[in-house]
Amino acid sequence: MRFTSLVTLSATALTALSLSTIVMAEDKNTLTVYTYDSFAAEWGPGPKIKADFEKECHCELNYVGLDSSVGILSRVQLEGSSSKADVLLGLDVNLMTAAEKTGLLAPHSVDTQKVTVPGGWDNSYFVPFDQGYFAFIYDTEKLKNVPMSLQDIVENQELRVIYQDPRTSTPGLGLLLWMKSVYGDQAAAAWEKLSSHTVTVTKGWYDGYSLFLKGESDVVLSYTTSPAYHMVAEGVNKYQAAPAVEGFYPQIEVAAQLKSAPNPELAEAFMEFILTKGFQSHVTTGNWMFPVVDMPLPEAFSSLQQPTKVLNLPLEEISKNRNAWVNEWLEATTR
Amino acid sequence: MTRSWMSFDKALFIRWRLLPALLIVAVFAIIGAASLAALLFYGESSSWAEYLSNTYLWRIVRFSLWQAFLSSIISIGFAVPIASALMHRQFFGRDALFQLFAVSMVVPSIVAILGIVVVYGRAGWISRWTGIDVPLYGLLGILLAHIFFNLPLAVRLLVQAYSLIPQGQWRLAYQLGFSRWYAFKYIEWHYVRKALPGAFVLIFMLCFSSFAVVLSLGGGPRSSTLEVAIYQALRFEFDVSKASVLSLLQVVICSLVAVLVYRFSLPVKQDGSVLKLTVYDLKDTVWNKVIDFVVIVLALLLILPPFLAILEPVLSVVFWQTLKDLKMWMAVWVSLKIALPAAILSLILGLGFVFVARYARLKPSLNWLASMVEHLGSSILMVPGLVIATGLFLIFRQLGWGFEHGYWIVVWVNSMMALPFVLRALTPIFYQQEKRYQLLYSSLGIWGVSRFKLEWPLVRGSVAQAFGYATLLCLGDMGVIALFGSSGLLSLPLYLFQLIGSYRLEQGASVAVVLMALCVALFILSTRLIGGKQSVKN
Repeated sequence: MRFTSLVTLSATALTALSLSTIVMAEDKNTLTVYTYDSFAAEWGPGPKIKADFEKECHCELNYVGLDSSVGILSRVQLEGSSSKADVLLGLDVNLMTAAEKTGLLAPHSVDTQKVTVPGGWDNSYFVPFDQGYFAFIYDTEKLKNVPMSLQDIVENQELRVIYQDPRTSTPGLGLLLWMKSVYGDQAAAAWEKLSSHTVTVTKGWYDGYSLFLKGESDVVLSYTTSPAYHMVAEGVNKYQAAPAVEGFYPQIEVAAQLKSAPNPELAEAFMEFILTKGFQSHVTTGNWMFPVVDMPLPEAFSSLQQPTKVLNLPLEEISKNRNAWVNEWLEATTR
Repeated sequence: MTRSWMSFDKALFIRWRLLPALLIVAVFAIIGAASLAALLFYGESSSWAEYLSNTYLWRIVRFSLWQAFLSSIISIGFAVPIASALMHRQFFGRDALFQLFAVSMVVPSIVAILGIVVVYGRAGWISRWTGIDVPLYGLLGILLAHIFFNLPLAVRLLVQAYSLIPQGQWRLAYQLGFSRWYAFKYIEWHYVRKALPGAFVLIFMLCFSSFAVVLSLGGGPRSSTLEVAIYQALRFEFDVSKASVLSLLQVVICSLVAVLVYRFSLPVKQDGSVLKLTVYDLKDTVWNKVIDFVVIVLALLLILPPFLAILEPVLSVVFWQTLKDLKMWMAVWVSLKIALPAAILSLILGLGFVFVARYARLKPSLNWLASMVEHLGSSILMVPGLVIATGLFLIFRQLGWGFEHGYWIVVWVNSMMALPFVLRALTPIFYQQEKRYQLLYSSLGIWGVSRFKLEWPLVRGSVAQAFGYATLLCLGDMGVIALFGSSGLLSLPLYLFQLIGSYRLEQGASVAVVLMALCVALFILSTRLIGGKQSVKN
């Protein structure tokens, strides 16, 4: 190729490619929802919820899928009041304090009486949309000596454990809170015990879970609902969640409306929609989580590990002590 | 009097000619600095001293320095004999191997981690076949992964250095009956060692800022990097100024290392062949054959198994289903839409940089400028893409532009991130051109576009390499695009993460294979189209 033709080619390529950039349509009748990637994915609950909601509202629902729960918050923090988003869907309950502090959220008017999360729900900014429990998953064909409690997992030096980093992932933070609510002041000693038989601590959920599936550990930190995925989607029954006599620590995912929402009426309608069947019926086999209202569950879900006791730390305490607890974990595991 | 006026005029004139190139360098530097500054001054800046007095921080810095040092020394140490053996031996699959080497660095980290685990892990091939339990998690795992990523890169950079050896020297070596060892000692080493510092610094920076590999294979928070702290600050704490202070710290540390390396390395005085590369057959002995054989087998043993593990999904049904998935092809299109313009932009940036650097390199009074420009171009590696993208976004917001311009931020940041690789590919050949023909060109008054046209046949091979690297890197990008979410920008790596983020590991692995195939295809295509027929061989 001659030099001149190279120049022409690259110039044409640049223009052609840039012209094809998708320009987001700014429609009066479009509801923009920021959520995380796997929620909006075609196999996630997003598309079905979109279809159900659009039937009711005669509008268009547009998802912007971000890389994680934290990604949603930091995107809005970056955009500030100029955000195009109407609703944030998929913040973790532990991000609520940080999200509220931005001053970007609008209070909701949804009746959350029928919400079934442990301890009930009373929050003026957030509406919960699904829930689950953190749990350690094991392979029944490989692990014979099944841990019956968190203490078993911490103390059994033979057990190879993988969990996620509380600095970079939601389940990791979940385990931090779980440990804290079980061990309290003794948490540092427990972490130290756990660290001596920890295979590795991964950046995110999928790194850890993939390593587990490749056979790198006996147990991995995930959710009580993980076995349901293998049962329903793959027809595999060998993965189970280990019970925990101390109780499970819950994960609750929430939604909130933005003060600067371009379409406040649609946003309000969507917030109302969250607790209805059109939304809740899709979270089980779509998002692999439990619904937050009373409703019949798919078969695979009824066979799952049910918590005998649910642990919970007050949100204020979490946001106040989180950094200290992360440091405690760091100190104990790097000693 | 008139004479000195004349020469002053001429010098000024020559600098004017450099103006476009200088502008490119300036734009790059200003945008880079501006995005960092935007972050530094975002919100109330908390105390720097507090961030920097954290003992854990310094522990991970120490660990990072150590693992990055080991990773780069080992990668480069192995690369020297491998490059030499590859240059002298022809064997079946050599060219294919060479192409495969080009893509190792764009394998998404999680895919590479799983590849390593399939080979060395508890239920991996080694333990299954030999019964040896590899203590993978810890320094060993980190090193294995980093060698997998960087050894091929080092080999390619060194092989490039071979192309500077004048044909005459090989002919002479052949006529004098040099053995392989003599040829290495008296010819090759002199060229190879000039490429070593640059390669070392590049790989050092890549390993120093490695993220997922260090966390996943490191076996716990004892193994961590500054990059983790930056990510945590930016995403989890939304402490933007802390993130930028930590990024600056990373830049300072890596710059110190670079300064140290260049201080002890030879001054860059490039010279060499401009003719096409022919390696003459040297006197061969059984020993030479054995050594080369061992070296190549060793390289294959280190690099190939994880690749095979990564390519394993090709045998599964899921892979063929994935190929039929329209969504995957959409992602391929989005990836191309980002990678190709970004690579073109990166090439333009790179040419601007080398034009300034090569002009300055030959003027004793300006030699510092050449080093500075070169270092400026590579220093971008030390700033996480996410940080630059966030900074740029903050600037855009000030200007009243929103995320509709996200596409352009992604393209721009990607082109910046690929620049270090583009420069590694371009600088040797352009320095050499300058040294050989600069006087001739200037005495004939040939400059600018006309000079580039004359140089084109000689440099196109390297330009193709540069473009290939840039395309690959932008194709594999995760960090930058993650900030902007999937509204119309679901690239192939993002699609992969979306899949494995919802239990679909097998499909994710299949997408990884597609990504790598695409990389190889684009790399070959760019070598053929831009590099012309003659560069295909090498």
